Amino acid sequence: MSYKKDLSHYQAIPWPSLGPLTIDTGVLSVGDRDRLLAAMAECCSRHGYGETTIVAVTERAGLGRASFDSHFESKEDCAVAALNKIVSETLAAVSTAPTADGEGERRVLQIRAILELMSAQPSFAHLVYIEARQGGTKRMRDTYQSAAHVLALMMERLGGNGEQPPARAARAALGGAEAVMRRELALGNTGAVPVLLPDFVYAALVPFVGQREALRQSRLARQLLAEEG
Amino acid sequence: MEKAQREQLFWALMAELAEKGYRDASVEGPMAAAGVSTAEFEAEFKDKDACLFAAYDHMTELALNTATSDCESGREWPERLRDGLKKLLEAIAAEPELARAMTRSFPGIRPATYECYVELLARFLPYMEEGRKYSGVDEELPGEVELLAVGAAEAIIFSEVDAGRAERLPQMMPEILFSVLVPFMGPDRAADEMRSASAAL
Repeated sequence: MSYKKDLSHYQAIPWPSLGPLTIDTGVLSVGDRDRLLAAMAECCSRHGYGETTIVAVTERAGLGRASFDSHFESKEDCAVAALNKIVSETLAAVSTAPTADGEGERRVLQIRAILELMSAQPSFAHLVYIEARQGGTKRMRDTYQSAAHVLALMMERLGGNGEQPPARAARAALGGAEAVMRRELALGNTGAVPVLLPDFVYAALVPFVGQREALRQSRLARQLLAEEG
Repeated sequence: MEKAQREQLFWALMAELAEKGYRDASVEGPMAAAGVSTAEFEAEFKDKDACLFAAYDHMTELALNTATSDCESGREWPERLRDGLKKLLEAIAAEPELARAMTRSFPGIRPATYECYVELLARFLPYMEEGRKYSGVDEELPGEVELLAVGAAEAIIFSEVDAGRAERLPQMMPEILFSVLVPFMGPDRAADEMRSASAAL
């Protein structure tokens, strides 16, 4: 079995870097919206949601208040839209991950897709993993919780016909991996996140497939990273 | 400021934070509750933020001491872990508002306060390292296995505290214990320990 065979089909979802705005507002309104979402994520990651202002977001996006008001009703509305964007992209990355020989192997590629996405978009990762959970509003928490619930359900499907782990085992396993992710985000080490693939694979699998199989998959994940240099 | 006054100030300030949120929390009420004058406060703390950080650090130390006070005894690691977890969950259930301040109100203020939360979790990691010995596969375990275990417990605790159900946590101890042990021991052995913990309850 090799993980490499289908990787040519996989591409991390690109995200434009924020630079000075040169486009004419009103003509490319979708682009304006994306700039505002990116600016919201960036401001939150630097200052926290509570200390982020609409003025700071529009200044970072290089847009005026009128543009913000044409897209969003409030700061919270913009933050929730930014969350929905990264959550949608995460679930898309999981569902479009390359096919593999087995279910366990497919999970490795799905986890890899998430890690690469978060590494490529650290501000959005900060928004979803930290601000939505502990710094934001109830709407933001609900968005985060819904996404975490979906991922936990996907992990539970890994279980076989043997003894089932406790009800919250998947959420707890996800929490363990998230704790590692949050530490890296808090320390600004997002570039190293993809290297954590073997650890995340192990965490996601061990309650459901047993330690031996989880270690095997973790080793294969390590091998995959080594082969790619 | 006397030691007891400082401790009372910290407790009152964390309660204020949990109740009012960061913007509306002030030090005047906690100072009055602790019998601390403005001069005494200013002699130790530059401002509200300095006192908040000191209070959080103090509470982190208390949480760590609660969970690990018996860790040096001669009992086996899973048993000590179980007892420490039990004490921590009982303490959280007894002070749900403090727990909310520790897990949400303070960490959510800004990135610098979130770093303190990361540090809080990191303080528990040394007590997990012994789990490698019990795994039987130490060399193969992921480098982050200690944080995977601590983060698993934190996920359940945070969820219950945030939902206003902290009082349920002591009853959930066996399930949380499973999630802490499973990265080290695998599901079968972790389930055995969970059943033993349930029977002990």
